[in-house]
Amino acid sequence: MVDKDTVKLIKERCAFMRRDIIEMGFIAGGRGAHFGPALSCTEIVASLFFKVMKHNPKNPKWAERDRFIQSKGHGCLAYYSALIESGYIDKDQRKTFKQDGSHLPGHPSRDMEHGIEISSGSLGNGFAIACGMAKAAQIKKEDHTYFCLVGDGECNEGLIWEAAMNASKNKLDNMVAIIDRNGVQLAGKTCDIMDFDLVSAWKAFGWEVTVLKEGNDPAVIVETLELAKQKRNGKPQAIIAETIKGKGISFMEGSLNWHAGVMNEEQYNQAVSELEKA
Amino acid sequence: MNNITSEKLQEWSKAGHRTIMGETLYMLAQERDNVVVSTADLTPTARLTKIRDDFPERFFDVGIAEQNLIDFTAGLSVEGLLPFAVDMAAIVPMRCAEQMRVSMAYMNLNAKVISIEAGVRFGPLGNTHYAMDDIAVVRTMPNFTILCPADPLSVHKAIIAAADHEGPVYIRLTGGPGFPVIYKEDFDFQIGKAIELKEGKDVAFISTGCQLAETVAAAEALEAKGISSRVIDMHTVKPLDKDILDSVFAENKLIITVEEHSSVGGLGSAVAEYKAGFSNTPRQIIASLGDKFQEVGDHKYITTNAGLKAPALAALAEANL
Ligand SMILES: Cc1ncc(C[n+]2csc(CCOP(=O)(O)OP(=O)(O)O)c2C)c(N)n1
Repeated sequence: MVDKDTVKLIKERCAFMRRDIIEMGFIAGGRGAHFGPALSCTEIVASLFFKVMKHNPKNPKWAERDRFIQSKGHGCLAYYSALIESGYIDKDQRKTFKQDGSHLPGHPSRDMEHGIEISSGSLGNGFAIACGMAKAAQIKKEDHTYFCLVGDGECNEGLIWEAAMNASKNKLDNMVAIIDRNGVQLAGKTCDIMDFDLVSAWKAFGWEVTVLKEGNDPAVIVETLELAKQKRNGKPQAIIAETIKGKGISFMEGSLNWHAGVMNEEQYNQAVSELEKA
Repeated sequence: MNNITSEKLQEWSKAGHRTIMGETLYMLAQERDNVVVSTADLTPTARLTKIRDDFPERFFDVGIAEQNLIDFTAGLSVEGLLPFAVDMAAIVPMRCAEQMRVSMAYMNLNAKVISIEAGVRFGPLGNTHYAMDDIAVVRTMPNFTILCPADPLSVHKAIIAAADHEGPVYIRLTGGPGFPVIYKEDFDFQIGKAIELKEGKDVAFISTGCQLAETVAAAEALEAKGISSRVIDMHTVKPLDKDILDSVFAENKLIITVEEHSSVGGLGSAVAEYKAGFSNTPRQIIASLGDKFQEVGDHKYITTNAGLKAPALAALAEANL
């Protein structure tokens, strides 16, 4: 069991992160932002940054750190907000999100000074790169863990499966893939666009699969991820986390309209007041 | 080439670029414990069996999954290793263009991609196996260095130069069994610095890859007829050696670029793009495989048809001077 204080802390951090996400997304103005994809994985990213991962914001290049790789790069607002709340990125940088000349573009760009391990945004590639990174750690006999966040729609990509089979062949048990199964991708529901049995597929490719029914509940997430992190049984771990796209903002939850969008002032005020009340 | 004897060069000349590459990577793996080699089900074809057997912990076959070959290699590089991905020129830059662009070039990673059998060396296998567009594809990617060595010793030296260079490098290998030796002795192979093999005032041949031997022969034939011919080995297609091009623009009457590649986007295009910034430069002709799929045949048949053999190159110069 995860202790109450830890759960409380992560929930507090999630509240701050959601506030950052809405701020940055609103600042993007007419340029729009991927709200839904960031809000579905907020608890997952918070659990990693504020409990599960070993890392040090004062020393982003610390060799022994655990690595977070966001393969679903369009969900970067969750990543940026975790980096802001843990001190890798100054809070006042929020206003630069997606602005001209910004270091916080709409998809992460490798920036080791600020905790961004790789560039991602072209779906499929981040996960495949993460598997190469995990292999390098094995070659160098380093024992940190790689946590890679993958979208459920992203699993349509052939490259995911090329890398998945290679990971199990190489016994990458330092690799934990977390599939953000929010059930919605860009153009509609995942089950309508390309329906297949995600759990069986990951198993068939040689991964040990855990289904996390409460993918927005920090207590369950932390327990599951810590278990996965400890398992060094020769198999890469896939955590299929059932989440809610747009979680935390009533008009975004489960919506097909908030994969990406432009937020008007009224919506902004409503989102902020919902977060304040939560 | 401390340890490369002239017997070795003869052996490499007989064997062609795959063997030279396999042996050079083996030497690198022996000398540097950060060298990692990966391929996609081409281990014997790419002459990597010895590396596989002797360095199993640093050799990977990712299966027939070339996009993952590139991303896996990128990941190894992110964590500080010195990885080489080896695959077929006809497949890798084209199928994996996006992986090379976003996973290697964009992050400016220290990762190397080696293509074997570039051009039309796979002759009878047909157009699916020809790489006529790989320079064009990779040239569009910022940060990538492109090397295209011209003879056995150059292949060896290009791979070592790539290992010593910080950043993504694409090495395009041409020249099969019977690979003519141009550099018989050790020479200075510097990325971005072309080699002037022969001075000359009338035509300047600028060549990359194994067609250099044809170019040298063409220049000799022209000299016999009193036409002064310059020969330049542009082993680095990106970044181009602009200093030597400046001297060609000032001193020569005609430029012929020679490459076993499409007329679109290769060495000829690179030279023309640079030349476009100047007035009063010599006329340029691009000798290449043209902008078409090839009639199937062996390497000699296809390159003869394309006008890439020495007599045709000499005639081209004569007709245009
Ligand atoms: C290779 C590639 N193709 C298409 C896109 C455009 N795109 C961005 S997000 C997205 C949907 C992703 O859905 P999913 O993986 O389920 O992530 P979610 O937004 O639900 O978190 C698409 C198609 C892209 N970024 N990369």
